[in-house]
Amino acid sequence: MNFTPNNRVLIQGIVDPLGSTYTPLMQAYGTNIVAGVSPGYGGKVFHGIPIFDLVEMAQMVVGEIDTTIIFVQPFAALDAALEAIAAGIRQIILITEGMPPQDVVRLLRKAEATETLIVGPNSPGIIVPGQVLLGIHPSEFYTPGSVGLISRSGTLTYEIARELTLAGLGQSMGVCIGGDAIVGSSFPQWLEILDEDDNTEVIVLVGEIGGDSEESAAHYIAEAIDKPVIAYVAGRTAPKGRRMGHAGAIIASQISELGTEIGTANSKVTAFERAKIPVANYPSQIPTLVKKSLRLPSRRQSSP
Amino acid sequence: MDLLEYQAKELFRDMGIPVLPSQRIDYPKDLKGLNIPYPVVLKSQVYIGGRGRVGGVRFVENTIDAIAAAQTIFNLPIMGEYPKMLLAEAKYDADREFYLAVALNRSVCRPVLLGSCQGGIDVQSAIDQMQHVVVEQEFSPYYARRLAIKMGLQGTLIESVSAVVEKMYQLFIQHDLDLVEINPLGVSATGEVMALDGKVSANDDALARHPQLISLISKLGGDPAQPNDVVPVVMDLDGHIGIVCNGAGLTMATMDLVGHAGGKTASFLNIGGENRWDSSPELLKLRLEHGLDLMSQHKSVRVILINLISNLVPCDEVAAVIVSYLERKTARAAGLTNLRSDVVFVQPKRRPSLVVRLVGSQSDRARTQLETAQLSLVENLDEAVTEAVSLAKSGRLES
Repeated sequence: MNFTPNNRVLIQGIVDPLGSTYTPLMQAYGTNIVAGVSPGYGGKVFHGIPIFDLVEMAQMVVGEIDTTIIFVQPFAALDAALEAIAAGIRQIILITEGMPPQDVVRLLRKAEATETLIVGPNSPGIIVPGQVLLGIHPSEFYTPGSVGLISRSGTLTYEIARELTLAGLGQSMGVCIGGDAIVGSSFPQWLEILDEDDNTEVIVLVGEIGGDSEESAAHYIAEAIDKPVIAYVAGRTAPKGRRMGHAGAIIASQISELGTEIGTANSKVTAFERAKIPVANYPSQIPTLVKKSLRLPSRRQSSP
Repeated sequence: MDLLEYQAKELFRDMGIPVLPSQRIDYPKDLKGLNIPYPVVLKSQVYIGGRGRVGGVRFVENTIDAIAAAQTIFNLPIMGEYPKMLLAEAKYDADREFYLAVALNRSVCRPVLLGSCQGGIDVQSAIDQMQHVVVEQEFSPYYARRLAIKMGLQGTLIESVSAVVEKMYQLFIQHDLDLVEINPLGVSATGEVMALDGKVSANDDALARHPQLISLISKLGGDPAQPNDVVPVVMDLDGHIGIVCNGAGLTMATMDLVGHAGGKTASFLNIGGENRWDSSPELLKLRLEHGLDLMSQHKSVRVILINLISNLVPCDEVAAVIVSYLERKTARAAGLTNLRSDVVFVQPKRRPSLVVRLVGSQSDRARTQLETAQLSLVENLDEAVTEAVSLAKSGRLES
C-alpha cells in the first residue's frame, strides 16, 4: 500500500465532467498527478498534466504509475480498470457510480489474480489529511490526526469527519469502500491496514443497512484488531427492501450462513455489541466515544 | 427491476429452457380465443410472491369456468397489488418440484447457483434443503453439475437439471440480471423437467445497455424504471417531515435522527449522485429544485428538512435555489389572489416550513441570502433535526 504524496497518480477519464472537476482539487491538495488518459485527447494538456490515448502510452512517457483514479462512464469503467491492470497498475480507485455489478465481478476475478487493490466502485476514494487526496472527499472537513475512518458512503463520511474535526479529533485516513452491493476492497482489509498504520490510534467504522460487511467486520475486529474501534450504523428507520416475498434474494443472503436477519440495522448493531465494540446511536455521539476509547476528556472543543 | 412471470418465460423460451405452452390474458373474454387445450391453469401476474396461497392461481376445465375464474383473479389483490393480466398455461403433472436460482452474492462478490429438491410454495423447506455453488472463475458447465450432485440427483436428472441451470446462467450473464429463479421446476414421473414458474430481476444500472430487455418490458406492458428520476419515497403516512438530503448514508442517518428525536418521516428524497460521471453543479441544483417542488406536493409534509453537505456546489448557490423556490411559491399564491379578487378571504396557498442545514464552502454568503427570505441556516445537524421535529409537532404551515 502506498498512500503518500510520493504516490504517482494517473487519472482515467480526465476530460469527463467529474474527472475534470476533481483533478485540479486533488492537485491543489498535493496529490502527485503525473498523467491523464482520455481516448482521443492524446497530446493535450490539462492543468499542466499531459493527456494520453492509452494507459501504456502514458507509462512510456511519464514512467511508473502507482495508482489510477477512474472517472469514466459506468459502462466504460470495467474496460478502463482492465487496461490499468494490463499496464501493471496495482492500486485502482473507482469513483464512478452505476457500474453494472457483473462488470465488477469480472474485474474482481482479474484483480484477485493479479493482487490488485480495487477501491469502489461508487466511492469518493481515499484521503490522508494534510498529505494526499485520491478521490473526491471535500478536504475542508478533514484535519490531520489519529482517527482512521472507514465507511460505505460519501456525504455521511464527510459529516462524521467534520464532527471529529470540530471535536478536535484529526484523522489519519478517510476511506470509503463504496456504496454498491458488490465492491472491491472490504472492511476487514482496511481494518488490517489501519491496525498496522503507525499514525492511527483508533478506528471509526461507519456502516449502513444491507449486505453483511458490518457483520464480517465485527467478527474480524474481535479476532484480529488490537486498536479500539467505534461503530455507527445508518438506516435503523429505513424502509424494508421492496423485495417482499422475493425468495431468491432472501436465500441468496443466507448462503453466508450467518443467519436470516443479515442486512438489517439490528443484525449489524448486535454483531458489533457481541464483539464488544461501542456503537454510536447518532453521528454526534462518535467523537465522545472516540475520546472515551482514548481516555481523553470528552469536553467538546471549539472549532479547529 | 423485477419482470413478471410471463416476461420471464419469454426469456426462458428464447434461451431453450423448457416452458409450457401459454397465452397472455388481458381481459376475461380473451379466454374465448384460447389456443391451449383444457385443463389449463390461470395465474395472476403480480410482482409479489405467494399468490398461490391466496387464490391467485386456479385450475379450470372449460371456457365458462375459465372466464369466471379469470374475473375472480382480476379482482383479487395480492398483498394490495391487482394483476393487469393473467397467464393461461397448460396444466402439468409434476411428480416432484425443485427450486433453482442464479443470483449475485454480495458477500463473496460472485454469482452463485442455488438448488433445492424441496421447491414449490413452501419457501422455508426449500431454504432448509438449499445447496449452493459459488461460480468462482469463468463459468463452465461443471459448476451446474456440481450443484446437481450436491442436490443429491442421480442418473439422467443430473444432466437434465444441470442443463437448465447452465441456460439460466447464460441468461443471467447475457442480460446482466440480478436474479434468475425457477420455482418450481416440475419433474415428471418420466424424468422430464419443466419451468413452471419463473422470476427474473434485471439490474437497474445495467438495463440501459440491454435494448432487447427494455423492449421486452415495454412491449409486454411493463414500465422500465428511470433510474435518473428524482422521486420522493413515501415512508410513514402519519409523518409530517419531508427530508431532502444528498447521499444515501446521510439520508438514512438523518431519518434515524428524526426518529430518535420523536419525529416521523413522511417521505425522503436523496438528490445525491455526487459520484455520477456526469455530475455537475447544474445537475445537482436542478435535482434540488425539482425535489423541493415534488416534496411540497405531498400534502402530509408540514416541514421540509434540507440537509446537504455541499461538495461540488458552494452553499450560496444552494441557498439561491431554495430562495427561488420560496419566491415561486409566494408568487403563485399571489397570482391566485389576484384572479379571485371578488373573494374577500382567499385561503392562501400553503407551503411547508423549511429547515435548512447546509455545510460547505461559502456558508456565510448562504446565510445572508437565506436571511433575506426569513430563513436561518443551521450548521449543527442535531439542532436542525430538533427544530424540524418541533415545527412538525406544532403543526404550523407557512402561508
